[in-house]
Amino acid sequence: MLTEKNIYKPVMAKLTEVIEESPLIKTFVLIPEKEFSFRTGQFIELSVDGIGEAPFTPSSSPLITEKLEVTVMKTGYVTEHMHKLKPGINMGIRGPFGRGYPVEMFYGKEVLILGGGCGLAPIRSLLYALEGVKDKLKKVILCYGSKTPADCIYKPLFDRLNKTEKFEAYRTVDRADEEWDGSVGVVTTLLNKIKITIDESVAIVCGPPVMMKFGTIRLLEMGYKDEQIYLSMEKNMSCGLGKCGHCMMGEFFVCKDGPVFTYNELKGTPDIWK
Amino acid sequence: MKVTRDVLKKIRFFDNYTEKQLDIIAKLSNIKEFRVKQVLFEQYDELSDISVLLEGTLSMGISLAGEKRIHLGTIEEGQLFSWSAVFSPFISTAWVMSVTPAKILSIDAKKLNKEIEKDCDFGLKTMSKIAQTISHRLGDTRFQLMNQLTL
Amino acid sequence: MQYKCIPKEEWDKTLEQLLLSFTIFAVVKNEFGQDYELIRPEDIPGISYNKPKPATSLKNFFLPVRENVTSERSDGKKRVIIGVPNCDIEGLSLLDEIYLDNEYDDIFYSKRRENTILISSDCFGIQEHCHCMSYGILPYSVRGADLAVINLDETIILRINTPQGEDFANIFPAIRLVEDKSIIDKIEQKQRATEKLLETSNLNLPDYKTTGELVTRAEVDIWEKYSRQCVSCGACTTICPTCTCFLLIDKPGFEKVKQMDACQYPGFERVAGGEDVLFELHNRFRNRYMCKYSWKPGKFRSTACTGCGRCIEACIGKINKNELFRELSKQPVC
Repeated sequence: MLTEKNIYKPVMAKLTEVIEESPLIKTFVLIPEKEFSFRTGQFIELSVDGIGEAPFTPSSSPLITEKLEVTVMKTGYVTEHMHKLKPGINMGIRGPFGRGYPVEMFYGKEVLILGGGCGLAPIRSLLYALEGVKDKLKKVILCYGSKTPADCIYKPLFDRLNKTEKFEAYRTVDRADEEWDGSVGVVTTLLNKIKITIDESVAIVCGPPVMMKFGTIRLLEMGYKDEQIYLSMEKNMSCGLGKCGHCMMGEFFVCKDGPVFTYNELKGTPDIWK
Repeated sequence: MKVTRDVLKKIRFFDNYTEKQLDIIAKLSNIKEFRVKQVLFEQYDELSDISVLLEGTLSMGISLAGEKRIHLGTIEEGQLFSWSAVFSPFISTAWVMSVTPAKILSIDAKKLNKEIEKDCDFGLKTMSKIAQTISHRLGDTRFQLMNQLTL
Repeated sequence: MQYKCIPKEEWDKTLEQLLLSFTIFAVVKNEFGQDYELIRPEDIPGISYNKPKPATSLKNFFLPVRENVTSERSDGKKRVIIGVPNCDIEGLSLLDEIYLDNEYDDIFYSKRRENTILISSDCFGIQEHCHCMSYGILPYSVRGADLAVINLDETIILRINTPQGEDFANIFPAIRLVEDKSIIDKIEQKQRATEKLLETSNLNLPDYKTTGELVTRAEVDIWEKYSRQCVSCGACTTICPTCTCFLLIDKPGFEKVKQMDACQYPGFERVAGGEDVLFELHNRFRNRYMCKYSWKPGKFRSTACTGCGRCIEACIGKINKNELFRELSKQPVC
């Protein structure tokens, strides 16, 4: 009977490495038992044996299919158990699910990425994907803000991007510490210093709901049209299949119709920033 | 350094001013240079100039009992600051310090206000730009506050 | 569409023989009213026909309350369910759209659907809260069910809607084509009578689309008023033919158990960080109506409410959604 594809059954993946990014954030390196491909921006349901599963957007390059990296912040029951795991054990993966970033739609354009907090995880995957097609892009600008310098994950990423042709990366923090000598202020303040041709660009916003709301407002003020702004909505995704009803946002199933939406699609839906 | 209409035309802040209006501002302006870690003014200082950062980076913040320098924001090239010079009681709400060597355009606020009274179009344009800067700064500050209060 | 007939005695006799090769469920009277029961030979003469409606819907035949969705299972005997009211048949249409969406077919649901022959039963009469016609659903099935059964003067008449229904009907050796047109007229008369009863009992009830508009526009005070009696027991969602939200629970060995859930339960929308957009009771209450009348219609062709009225019957707090809708429809539009 189960020779047909069972949508509920996870694929096994071996946890080979656990990287500590910050006190609350770890990156898990997984080798799935068979090649696993995804579009950047899609998510997976990652399960801990007998404990539970949770949705994550992989932070690794979609061009690499033998391994997968998932960055996990410790916030609840399942993630707390995940943080206790040691390399060598198996985890379960279902997916990939949903609509990812339509990278082909960015060809010939300037790409502005506004990221905050843990939103840098899916953004890193997007940046790898964009690097792979950088000949087709005009330029890529990353503006990223974290609460404090310690909260910024993937610190080496910024230097590397600034050394890559067509890429620029800027960082800011809400609250500085004594060593910090970079920009201070919320991520939208970085928009004051970048040079971008709005009509020939797309804007991608990814981060906590507060940041996505303020970021979108500022982008619209700058002159971006609703259809130029791409948002990655994190909702209570559970089955990933458009069936269990937990991720419904108005008439959308975030797990199927998203998680990537344009602001044009969402602007009529109430409570999207909650 | 002498400020001319052509110097102002290169600054994004003065985008939609007429040539005549640029001449007026040029007459009221001065360019000042600062070294690294120089204090431009302290919180509660009386201000006489409204400024635009031309080159470099400045940091701004407030002082609280026990801590003189709480760093709250960064001023980037092209941004307006020290607007309190235009409005009574002309007292600064924050300290500003240079992070890198910096060049600023300083405009005499008292004389600017006189020009604003004389020419309504110029006044509206200038006040709108100042209001927009303050509005953005307020929006960003609320966002910064929300970030501290939420997870 | 064809009509065939068989004397009730012959129908009952053949059904008994069929018990060897099919699992049969039918609507049977019980101390509380009537409901689906697993049929044994002695239950066959007592099967209830044409009286609305069984207390529970078809939902749990296709979506069990708890189910292990990672374990192997054998197919089992084919199933026949007799006496399904058309509201439940139509409710299955939404379930098909959700669970058999081509991209992610639920194989457990799909196998159960293939394995089940549905025999609908025309409703001759109504119950207090029936309002199927207000939402465009007839009290008798002309599609959706393989067959419809009518018990008329000790003769079983079958209306055959699909080839699978035709095959099933032909299992009965004593089956004949209906030649007497007056029989069909009698059936149609009874159908008209039921329709009239529904029209009278549901006067002033807004239709499905209008209800969606009213619910979307409604202010918070009406939700607070009607949810005052609500205790979040979830009875409405459990009994509803079209409410199918579920949880996936992890068991050791990466097994997963799919268990029915309800948006009425506190914590339905609670996320790991602790935030819960449906924390307040009146918001959870409103959420269900928005989902059924405004959001699902934007996404699916099938109706998300079949007008069966079971939510009104099941509610511990005696909340009547039709009262709510009637009140909304009387409010002035400003």
